Amino acid sequence: MGQIIETDVVVIGGGMTGAGVLRDLALRGIKAILVEQQDLGHGTSTRNHGLLHSGARYAVRDEEAAIESYRENLILKKTVPGSIEQTGGLFVKVPEDDESYIQKWLTACTKVGIPVEEIPVAQALQQEPFLTRDAQVVYRVPDGAVDCFTMVVDVVADAVKHGAHALTYHEVVDVVTEQNRVTGVRVRDGFTGEEKDILAELVVNASGPWGAKIAEMAGIPLTMINNKGMLAIFNHRINKQVINRLRMPGDADIFVPAHNVTIFGTTGINVEDPNNFSLHRQELVGMLAEGKKLIPSINELRLIRAFSGSRPLYQESTVSDASGRNVTRGITLLDHLKRDGLDGLVTITGGKLTTFRYMAEKTVDLVCEKLGIKAGCTTDQEMVPHRKAEEFFKDVDLAPAARHKLSHWAGTKAAEIESSLKNKAANFVVCECEQVTWAEIESVIPEEGRFHLGDIRRRTRLGMGPCQGTFCNHRAAALAVEKGKATVEEAEQALQHAVFERKKGMDVVATGETAKQRQLMDTIYRVSLGFREGDFQHV
Amino acid sequence: MLEIILDELTFDKCLKCNACVSSCPVANTTLEFGGPKHLGPELKRLMNNQGLIDDKRIELCTLCGSCDMSCPENVHVSTLTAFAKAFHSEKSGTKFRDFVLSNAEWVGKLASAFAPVTNLAMGMKPVRKMMEMVMDIPAERQFPKYRFHNFNRVYKKKTASTERKVAYFAGCYATFNAPEVAMSFIKVMEHNGIEVVKPDQKCCGVPMFANGQMKQGLKNANHNITSFLEYTRQGYDVVLTCTSCTLAFKKEYVSFLNTEEAKELASHVYDADEYLRLLKESGELNMNFAPMNERAGYYAPCHMKAQGIGNPAMDILELIPGFKIQDVGAGCCGQCGTFGFKTEKYDVSMAIGRPMAEAVKEVDADYTVTECGMCKNQLDQLTDKTVKHPMQIVAESYERATVLD
Repeated sequence: MGQIIETDVVVIGGGMTGAGVLRDLALRGIKAILVEQQDLGHGTSTRNHGLLHSGARYAVRDEEAAIESYRENLILKKTVPGSIEQTGGLFVKVPEDDESYIQKWLTACTKVGIPVEEIPVAQALQQEPFLTRDAQVVYRVPDGAVDCFTMVVDVVADAVKHGAHALTYHEVVDVVTEQNRVTGVRVRDGFTGEEKDILAELVVNASGPWGAKIAEMAGIPLTMINNKGMLAIFNHRINKQVINRLRMPGDADIFVPAHNVTIFGTTGINVEDPNNFSLHRQELVGMLAEGKKLIPSINELRLIRAFSGSRPLYQESTVSDASGRNVTRGITLLDHLKRDGLDGLVTITGGKLTTFRYMAEKTVDLVCEKLGIKAGCTTDQEMVPHRKAEEFFKDVDLAPAARHKLSHWAGTKAAEIESSLKNKAANFVVCECEQVTWAEIESVIPEEGRFHLGDIRRRTRLGMGPCQGTFCNHRAAALAVEKGKATVEEAEQALQHAVFERKKGMDVVATGETAKQRQLMDTIYRVSLGFREGDFQHV
Repeated sequence: MLEIILDELTFDKCLKCNACVSSCPVANTTLEFGGPKHLGPELKRLMNNQGLIDDKRIELCTLCGSCDMSCPENVHVSTLTAFAKAFHSEKSGTKFRDFVLSNAEWVGKLASAFAPVTNLAMGMKPVRKMMEMVMDIPAERQFPKYRFHNFNRVYKKKTASTERKVAYFAGCYATFNAPEVAMSFIKVMEHNGIEVVKPDQKCCGVPMFANGQMKQGLKNANHNITSFLEYTRQGYDVVLTCTSCTLAFKKEYVSFLNTEEAKELASHVYDADEYLRLLKESGELNMNFAPMNERAGYYAPCHMKAQGIGNPAMDILELIPGFKIQDVGAGCCGQCGTFGFKTEKYDVSMAIGRPMAEAVKEVDADYTVTECGMCKNQLDQLTDKTVKHPMQIVAESYERATVLD
């Protein structure tokens, strides 16, 4: 038996919901530990569009989700401004879309209170030159773009600042129960293999598509609909605002600008395994055919990769809906004492990225009620530190593009990064596509723990550009060894994992330039650096 | 300015391979330059739909076009860097000196009108010291001489009646500094029974593009396009003796303006040697060359290479009996138009030019041949060989043959 840790609440799942719950608990002064099987945001939370819904998409079909989305949209813009770009969004009717939907949609938006403004088609085309000339009606809504990578990291960091703990790469291997009561979880350290018991008064299951697995460990039935969606990333930012189809929500009808790229999706296929992140060319082809109706030149635009993730959908009585489109995006909060007679366990699932804060609020309200604690939620007011750092980096010898990125990115790490940049060698731009300097990379490598290029990527954008790490992954690995941040073995393993993971996302979109890029990458790693085919695998 | 290149999407194809960086004469000489990949396709991607990023280092780009030639994906790197220059000067303003240098035509007119005085003054140390202090034009830099009897004064022909007809674009250098080049070209054409006209024309715009004066450059471009299209539509071929002007007509007007007119004109444009080679291929070239027992070294300007037409000057000169010509095989000269006239770029200019000077010395020919007036300026400063334009040699061979007849 390994180490035993005691706390008040264990939160399972380091996605957006778990992060929100952890921060809410910490702000209400409740001791809590979050456990995550991989890195923060490993699952659904970073495998989505990064769309800050205005609620307009759900207004007709799912009024409650629409109301929650719009309210949270306004709150998140104020409380997590560093991870949100207030791009605004367009709803565009193309000839294929049902005329009668417009009135229904306008009525529903008015009812919910979502501000909708019609703009002339010519004006929309001027703002968004890639948009189809066949557009018939265009409305503007307050959609936005969320950086899910920074948001999950920042929310957890703020929770930790308020006394919470987070253990990444700690997979729950068992839910510890005593009679009819959950008393904690057993976790396994993914790097050392060591197992630990974390004992708590209450366990919050916020593990999204893995929710059913956790319930199974606790010995209770929980049926989730894991609805897998595929998304693809354009090589550059093709739009200024979010672009949606003005119709009942369907496949491949949203384009979200995200920093230097645009994310396009999605699809919906129910899958059994939450670890099913498979990507199929046929699915992509279908998406492109549909996307072409909004962006006619879609097949000429370069895609750099695709990815997939599962929406954790829940409904009490499971009816078969293969697309999952008709299952509510509303929030499900289950008190397993009431539902299954099992105390000490709460499941929070369903919902949207946009409504994560509200999901956390409801969950922690229940936690307080169960633990007999009187403390109100403050996350609708208290801000997560902003990422802007414009007052820094002015007199640092740095490429203007890299400076520009840092001044919108460095946030609470600005002073640390600035001083490390002044030490000449750290201003070296390691990832050219996304302008990531060594100083930034160094600032996110944990003091203790494994050197992991994926973790660095999620925190800095290293390797997220057109070359997909062809040039920067090996530079970062070599520098880490040179600067004593990793051993040769660790660096090599990190590289193998990173290259495997990058190639996986590229393969499915690999036509044209991305096929060439993929070959160039393979040649550099296999010929110049001597890796063998079998070396690249998921580790 | 950004809106102008919305259609320029070739940056999407960049594989980040660095071929452009390794072929860039400036990036190979100084670490102060961000390199063509970063300041071209990379920056464009980072700015798209997000707003401008002004990078002062773009001033070091000479628009030589070596990047375009080396790119395996045909990214229009120098088009992107030209626009980066334009944003930069729009944002940071233009130095008086750069404004003067970019207006080569205006300077040419003025300097030519007072040619003896200009040339005398430019040769005087105190004057040059003053210029260095006031305008950041280095005192050590040699300048080309200006001619009072410039080409505009001596040649005004507007219509031709021969079967093949040429509309000639002389360019500022042949007009104000080397009218003998322009006159040699006209003689060469006469020997081939082709009449040459000189349509209304303005500076091609290359020095303006290089100094971020994009708007003025495009104004000149449109002027020249309109003026020359009038001729091409009557069956004239457009021929130029300056490789930089030729590149502007063939490539830059098309990629900067992206208009049907620019494309139409480009399909009628030839470098002078390329035009002679065309005549040779169709059996029309006058082959009555007098032997010339001379040995020359050929220096290929970047803007000739960037046209992707092989090496027409050598193809033509090799037709002259007894004439021996060898490619000196050097890279960029470092003068790079107005670049080498700037104090802060002078060291880089010289550092780029030295390997060329070494190559010329090693070949040790009777003289050097090159088409570009600016390359000639650097060759004049860094080597002790005379420099001639190919048209001067071809004209001389034809002339000698006529005397012999």
